[in-house]
Amino acid sequence: MAAVPVSVITGFLGSGKTTLLASLLRDPALARTAVIVNEFGAVGLDHLLVEASDEEIVSLNSGCVCCTVRGDLVRTAGDLLARRAVGAVAAFERIVIETTGLADPAPILQALMTDPALADALCLESVIATVDAVAGAATLDAHPESVKQAAVADRIVVTKTDLSDPAANGLADRLHAINPAAPQLTAVHGAVDAGRLFGGGLYDPAARGPDVRRWLAAETVPCDRPGPADHDHSGHDRADSRHDDAITSFCLSRRGPLRAVTLSLFLQVLAEHCGAGLLRLKGLVDVHESPGRPAVIHGVQHVFHPPAWLDAWPDDDRTTRIVVIALGLDPRWLEDLLDALDNEVAALQAAG
Amino acid sequence: MRHEAAWHARISRVLSGALRVWGVPGTVTRDPDDPDGFVVAPNTGPAMRVRHHAPAGWTVTLRDPVSGAQAPLGHHAGLPGLLRRLREDLAPDAPAGRLVIGAQPLLGRDLGGR
Repeated sequence: MAAVPVSVITGFLGSGKTTLLASLLRDPALARTAVIVNEFGAVGLDHLLVEASDEEIVSLNSGCVCCTVRGDLVRTAGDLLARRAVGAVAAFERIVIETTGLADPAPILQALMTDPALADALCLESVIATVDAVAGAATLDAHPESVKQAAVADRIVVTKTDLSDPAANGLADRLHAINPAAPQLTAVHGAVDAGRLFGGGLYDPAARGPDVRRWLAAETVPCDRPGPADHDHSGHDRADSRHDDAITSFCLSRRGPLRAVTLSLFLQVLAEHCGAGLLRLKGLVDVHESPGRPAVIHGVQHVFHPPAWLDAWPDDDRTTRIVVIALGLDPRWLEDLLDALDNEVAALQAAG
Repeated sequence: MRHEAAWHARISRVLSGALRVWGVPGTVTRDPDDPDGFVVAPNTGPAMRVRHHAPAGWTVTLRDPVSGAQAPLGHHAGLPGLLRRLREDLAPDAPAGRLVIGAQPLLGRDLGGR
């Protein structure tokens, strides 16, 4: 049985996650979608607002998703799959997880990536972040969680655009700076094109294979962006410092293959020293030991999928591209680190 | 073995960048007494001397700021070990993670993942 794609909808309190979800669930194209929602507080408001048949909604009852995700989410998703297997619920083809507004999406993604019981049955498709066009900028200023939610997203849905224009009020530019690779969609009363919202994952159902270029979106990310503002060593604190100033999105690119050992050591060093700051990393890597068959890598903080090996390059461009979204990391340091590690590995191999 | 200037510059940037990642104010300079060495000097605390051994090995020694006496701290086979040693000594409270390779294939088991 094919793995079930999972999408995670995140976004700050009041940003319109549930309205979006309710609208999506009315779309016939998403009729075979199971939803896992979270109840935050004593009253499951989110649950009450979602319009869908009861048996296809499973509610987490123990508070904030990010605090209970290791047990609850895994157990809930597993239970849902088990009920589908025996016909106790409709044969859903997709799972959508709605987080609480305060949730850090990273532990949710990590739980899905690491649980061995779910590994075969689920496939992480995409992260969707909702941002309120009216209050979004103030929320980004006040709550670093909201910046992180936007930074790790594959799609950003700007809601309440009937009340404020995100292009005019600067929100669109700000979100683009935080996460240039994520397409921004707009929603009015939750209405959004489901076809554009989902399908942000590596696998392209239409092509029945991976669509690496779309997933990586490396061309949208700066290759030589200056370091984050908090790495300004001028000795002056910026009075207008914002949470998103420390977020950097950049693409490490390199011509010529990387040794597999170099890649492994690079990821180990990043995970060891920068784990919390490494929000997301996606890459298409030319590996020396695998000529013509590039590796696709994906990590959330210090947790990575096993690399996927493609049968061929997606196009004529054989450049290694590693897209990084990070908190307070200088891209030039990562470039130097990668070069230094590769030089060291090359010297060792040359020495026999 | 004398390395070229570009190698020194790169390693110096790697080490000074690591100090910033760990939140340790300090400097990294070439060791005046060692053509393949560096001095990693936090603003507070003793400086550490880092010496490269070809093809890939590093020794770390601690230099007492008063007496000048040097105490060997260890030998490391590569940059990852060197960086770990420096973090443990210079920034013991800095967050330290561990690479975890999850169980879920990127493409899903039946979607072409291997």
